[in-house]
Amino acid sequence: MAFQNKRKFCYFKENGITDIDYKDVKLLRRFVNDQGKIMPRRITGTSAKMHRKLVRAIKRSRSIALMPYVENNLE
Amino acid sequence: MRYYETIYIVDPNLENTILEKTMTEIGEELQKTKAKIINHRDWGKKRLAYQVSNQKYGTFILLQFEIEDLNKMKEFDSSLKLNNLVLRHMTVSLDRKPKEYVDKSKTDSSVIENDSVSSSEQNKDGDDKATTDGVENNLDSNTVKIDEEK
Repeated sequence: MAFQNKRKFCYFKENGITDIDYKDVKLLRRFVNDQGKIMPRRITGTSAKMHRKLVRAIKRSRSIALMPYVENNLE
Repeated sequence: MRYYETIYIVDPNLENTILEKTMTEIGEELQKTKAKIINHRDWGKKRLAYQVSNQKYGTFILLQFEIEDLNKMKEFDSSLKLNNLVLRHMTVSLDRKPKEYVDKSKTDSSVIENDSVSSSEQNKDGDDKATTDGVENNLDSNTVKIDEEK
């Protein structure tokens, strides 16, 4: 993992996405780990601008019960 | 002038008629604030990520509108809070004008066409009945005449 050859890229810039909808749970799930925590930019490679929008969208969908605040998948 | 979107979760066990009634009630409540409703549609029954007032599922309803006076929005917000059937709601401002949802109107128009066809058929049926009624009347009059002859 430490010497990863794969280059990181911003998913949204690559696909030409400018707005992130909080209702698009399928997309948002990619940027959350199995506990439901938002993954850091350092790992996902999202650009700073889009990461801010992403965080807002995830938090909105959490508050309307589309996404979990916490999911206990430990074991 | 700005565009807003309200999403609210309704009890999933409601019958369709009650659901439509609550939707119209909420739409009327919003129109009191002089808002222009662009979309108001059922987004479907979904599993909730966590339990909301002991419900595992919820019916999501989307409401997109345009409003000038935001102070009146508070009344609409409190009316949603007081509505017992609404489990949770959230209002979000939109960056641009939302597209009107088209699919439903298409199905609606097809339904209307079907209705018009069926109604015309009913009319035909009605005409048939009328004619038969007329025949019966004639028969009655004949019998009456016979009676008179006797």
